[in-house]
Amino acid sequence: MREQFAPGVSEDAMLVSDARTGDRVAFGRLYDRYARMVHGVLLARVPVGEVDDLVQDVFLLALRRLSTLRETGSFGAWLAVIARNLANDYHRRSVPEDQLAPQGQRTDDTNEREIEHGNISGVDQSPAVAILDAIRALPDAYRETLILRLVEGMTGPEIAARTGLTHGSVRVNLHRGMQQLRAKLSPNPSEDRPGKNRSEQEM
Amino acid sequence: MATGNNRTENELLARNNDYLWDGSGEPDPEIQSLEALLGKFRHDRPTPVFPESVPVRRWTLFPRRVRLFPVLVTTAAVVVTIAVVTFLVQGRKPVPTIVAGWNVSRVAGSPRIGPKTMGGGEEGVGRLGVGQMLETDSQSRASLQADDTGQIEVDPSTRLRLLTMGAGLKRIALDRGTIHTYIWAPAGQFVVDTPSAMTVDLGCAYTLQVDDSGVGLVRTSLGWVGFKLNGRESFIPAGAACATRPKVGPGTPYFEDASSVFRAALTRFDFEDSTSQQRAGDLAIVLGESRKQDALTLWHLLARVDEGQRGLVYDRLRGVAPPPASVTKEGILRLDETMLDLWWNALGFDDISVWRHWERSWSGAAAPVREK
Repeated sequence: MREQFAPGVSEDAMLVSDARTGDRVAFGRLYDRYARMVHGVLLARVPVGEVDDLVQDVFLLALRRLSTLRETGSFGAWLAVIARNLANDYHRRSVPEDQLAPQGQRTDDTNEREIEHGNISGVDQSPAVAILDAIRALPDAYRETLILRLVEGMTGPEIAARTGLTHGSVRVNLHRGMQQLRAKLSPNPSEDRPGKNRSEQEM
Repeated sequence: MATGNNRTENELLARNNDYLWDGSGEPDPEIQSLEALLGKFRHDRPTPVFPESVPVRRWTLFPRRVRLFPVLVTTAAVVVTIAVVTFLVQGRKPVPTIVAGWNVSRVAGSPRIGPKTMGGGEEGVGRLGVGQMLETDSQSRASLQADDTGQIEVDPSTRLRLLTMGAGLKRIALDRGTIHTYIWAPAGQFVVDTPSAMTVDLGCAYTLQVDDSGVGLVRTSLGWVGFKLNGRESFIPAGAACATRPKVGPGTPYFEDASSVFRAALTRFDFEDSTSQQRAGDLAIVLGESRKQDALTLWHLLARVDEGQRGLVYDRLRGVAPPPASVTKEGILRLDETMLDLWWNALGFDDISVWRHWERSWSGAAAPVREK
């Protein structure tokens, strides 16, 4: 389900229209508005060290294909699809089939790479990497929304506006995603049992 | 439509999760802690400089509300006045014209445009016009840029020529050497002739190498590229490569992470003058070594194997990437183009109709590449 166009969408449509005529300043503004969303969508799917390059690839591809976008107001949703497809391409071309592991059972090699790439500021970020891994083991809709909220610092309304999802969908994804994340991070597996009282789970 | 359960959940969420929703309300220490930890992965790159483009149509010097008609009339009057004055002042002096072509920048050494050697400073920039040749020696590098087409990085020991620079088709010939292209012109408009195949840009970025004997290799890093010679065609998506040989044309594309055994067998199958028994053996190795992502290679092989071997390729491809319901084995065995295209599209690389559209529009416009 798609959200009705928010006020910012008409500005997007204008920027897209300008960018289509070759106005790179307008495209730069679209980048400013959507880079965090694209970064989050990719971070939900590919190793940390690959994300920045892929963000650039997504925007370059979008720039090239801008003329094919039919609904200029749907730029965000369209861009998110490009980002997800590029993430899929990344896995298709770089991860041999026999190394593909189910979510939550990623290979040691992948973890090592991500820990290495995650050490951005020179401090030990293992807990952060572990949490990021836990989020990335969640179902698609939850991990993407949670990363946009917790990593990229976007609010729920921003996530809805940028991805084209409804407020309701984003709200539910955040809520259920947090529930599942808490269960995964909980040292006591019994907290994850089905039928547990909701108010207890809310912490 | 929201169910009763969803409504209940949403109401609960609205009451209890303001901080998670938009950062308002009473801060949740657990979420704050997660934000602090995970914020290290946040996007923090500055806005990149996107490629320059043709001048925009919008009148950015004027407020949007200014009516265009008076502006146009005034501008036209000014332009006519300037033109008349210029004509009177310049007399019969020839007016310089802008030659269609690529802007060239020297990156290293002394590249040459035709007989002219590029040096440092002002001599380090030039323009490659239609019919001209750019050549780098073993120490030289150059960069080409055309606003409405893209950018080409030229490695040492490379020679290329600009063949056409039209609105709908930009075409160069790479005689030898290596170029790295990043193209933003619409798909199908940028074509590179090599001694053994024609590459057609269908995506964004690729590297093309040609050695002195005319053997070529394309490696795609973004989007996809078409490789074509006399009806033989290959599609090379990001992460894949494809070799080409004079008089043979493009080989079968493959993902570069395929096993060395797979790649060696494929090269022999494509280019070596083998007996039918040897070819069958190489095909068996390719089929046996193929992984799911090698559907790219298997799809191309359908049209390249002998009729008697096509069923084997079909079975293996179906095993790793089942065809859409409307695609039948019988149709594939007789190389029904519609069914082949449907299966290609189901592989998830890109929509082949882009290629078909441009293929039709090229017929007659794009002559076969020369062969050595």
